[in-house]
Amino acid sequence: MKLRTRLVLSSVLAIAATVAALAIYDGVARRRAARSLLIEIAAEHLATQREACEAEPGGWGGEWVGPRGHRGPPAGRHRPPPGKHEPPPHEHAPDEPRPRPPRAWAYDGELRAHAADAPALLPAWLDAMDDDGIAALPLSWRNDDVAAVLRTPWADGPCRYVLVQGSTGSWGAVLPSGRVWLLPAVVVLAAVMMVAGPMIRRIRQLTRAVERSASSAYDLSIPALGSDEVAELGRAFDRAARRVRDELEQRMRSETALREFLANTTHDLMIPLTVLQGHLAALRDRVAGGQVPDADMLRSAMNEAHYMGALVHNLGAVARLDGAAPSLQRTRVDLRDVVSRVRARHRPIAREAGVELEDAVPAEAVLVDVDVTLIEQAVSNVVYNAVRYNHRGGHVAIVLERVGDDRFALHVVDDGPGIAPEQLARVRERGVRGDDARTRAPQGQGLGLPIALRVAQLHGLSLEFSAVDGGGLEVVLAGDRCRPQTDHAPRSDASSSSARLS
Amino acid sequence: MKPTSPSAPAVLVVEDDEQLGAQIVAHLRDAGFDPTLLRRGRALTGDDLALVQLVVLDLMLPGVSGMDMIAQIRAAAAVPILVLSARNDSADKVRALQLGADDYMTKPFWPEELVERVRARLRRPTLAPQGAIELGRLRIDRSAREVWVDGVRVELTRVEFEFLLALAERPGAAITRRVLVDRVLDPARDGDARTLDVHASRLRKKLGVEELIETVWGIGYRLAHEGGR
Repeated sequence: MKLRTRLVLSSVLAIAATVAALAIYDGVARRRAARSLLIEIAAEHLATQREACEAEPGGWGGEWVGPRGHRGPPAGRHRPPPGKHEPPPHEHAPDEPRPRPPRAWAYDGELRAHAADAPALLPAWLDAMDDDGIAALPLSWRNDDVAAVLRTPWADGPCRYVLVQGSTGSWGAVLPSGRVWLLPAVVVLAAVMMVAGPMIRRIRQLTRAVERSASSAYDLSIPALGSDEVAELGRAFDRAARRVRDELEQRMRSETALREFLANTTHDLMIPLTVLQGHLAALRDRVAGGQVPDADMLRSAMNEAHYMGALVHNLGAVARLDGAAPSLQRTRVDLRDVVSRVRARHRPIAREAGVELEDAVPAEAVLVDVDVTLIEQAVSNVVYNAVRYNHRGGHVAIVLERVGDDRFALHVVDDGPGIAPEQLARVRERGVRGDDARTRAPQGQGLGLPIALRVAQLHGLSLEFSAVDGGGLEVVLAGDRCRPQTDHAPRSDASSSSARLS
Repeated sequence: MKPTSPSAPAVLVVEDDEQLGAQIVAHLRDAGFDPTLLRRGRALTGDDLALVQLVVLDLMLPGVSGMDMIAQIRAAAAVPILVLSARNDSADKVRALQLGADDYMTKPFWPEELVERVRARLRRPTLAPQGAIELGRLRIDRSAREVWVDGVRVELTRVEFEFLLALAERPGAAITRRVLVDRVLDPARDGDARTLDVHASRLRKKLGVEELIETVWGIGYRLAHEGGR
């Protein structure tokens, strides 16, 4: 159902219900007022009518002529019921029927009427009589008659009961006479229609504006004039559209970045892969020619493969770190296992490079709540750098220590070329960008160092670089361990898992 | 293919990739193990696992969840499980460990490292906390505070004995100088970290097996795992 129809219909229903309720109340009130007036007049009248009635019961009554000859309930002398007032005659609208003058009929003790045109008197009415000998007859909605039966004060004779009948007037009315009260109802209805028109027009305009904005991928803003709810709705739409637009832009940006990243990555993976293929082909040719494979070439091929592995892992890490709010999958991890796995990952390649890679871990567990993949990747990057840029005969040592009751420190020390301070500063301020993960850095400035920094920062750990006496670099990752009471899982074998949350 | 000795530890390799599976099996066999390749994940019974000393399990098997395999193996036997995972996802690894895997390796890995980890997993540390420590040619009696090399008793000072014990309790593991200083040296009597090297060289001379105590660059010292065979 349309809004306007609904508004009009509900207004009409509300008005009709109100009018009906008022009319019913008005009818009841008028009948009650008329009846009590009738009874009052009749009771007063009967006091002087005994002789007249008993002389000629058949002719007595009929259209009642008041004692002073005026028809209808005598006004003025007979006060209307309390709280009601009898409207002065001129207030009667010309089209309103005047109340009929009361009529009366006399009946004997057997309820027989004396007059021929008298209505029948039902015995049941007499049962409803009160102590004063007055029975008000039930109100009728078929007409505006009111009636009462009175037991005359004299106990015997032909005029034992009197039935009086009259009609309602304007006494006790709550609605004004005539149809003048319909006017406000019509006015209300008209006002509803008039207000609904512009409102619906504005809502339609808003709908069109929202549709326009949507079809322009929320580029067009939604104009909202005014300060009412419709304008508020427009502003809400506009805010929502802006959010959608921002979201879309964000998506577009990250999609573009991802595509670019993927393209660059593919390109960067292709380089070591091509080198590797070249080495393999050369080795095959040497073997086919009956020569001994070139050990340097084999080592170089292994290096390329290892580099690719590190690159792919870093790409995975960057994909997770690139978002605005990277989510960490924190679990309880024994850093001794992390050290053991990182050493295991790089020891073969260190051996090929003639670099001694060793580690030392405490006898007790070093438990931290971290994202195990990211932490492992961060440590791995630091260790791989130390190995990769070292010289033949060099050393790399990973030392994990429990510091005090609730801290740990993980040192990675090498005797390689070290990193120039200005390069470190650049890595620090640039932060993680996809490019950093891919940099095939010839000078040793951090394949994956930015990743290590970002991971440490996300975990609330510190990552410090310092020069070692006599050349080389020391990298220290430090932070809080888990609470001491949960930190007791001494195991003789540091390489077994501890991420098990038992 | 060299024949495996009857005492070779049996290793079950569950790996769907034919090449990788064959490679792993070849490397394990060369390293003196007795590997069996299972190309598809399936329910393993206690009987299947009774003769196996270790399981190498690829997490990414087609048509079967590696996690279910772990849980199922764990339910049937206490055999160590080494998980291979290509997905670099923390939740996967943690879940695998929670379900009862003992260790994981992330692809790509070098075969020698896989072999090394299988070996480490199967090595049972022969540690009697208060009793004697036997390491190849070396025997240390804690309660009597006596040291024997090739059955001959060697006289050691208190510092030298503590030094050797600190290394022998974790054979093959490098022990940092800081730990040794804290544990071995009484600052009032024995001096500081600089005297550590002096104690080490004296100890080497007394034991008569030079390669038994290794110096580890940047860390400290280590007792050779085989105890100088």
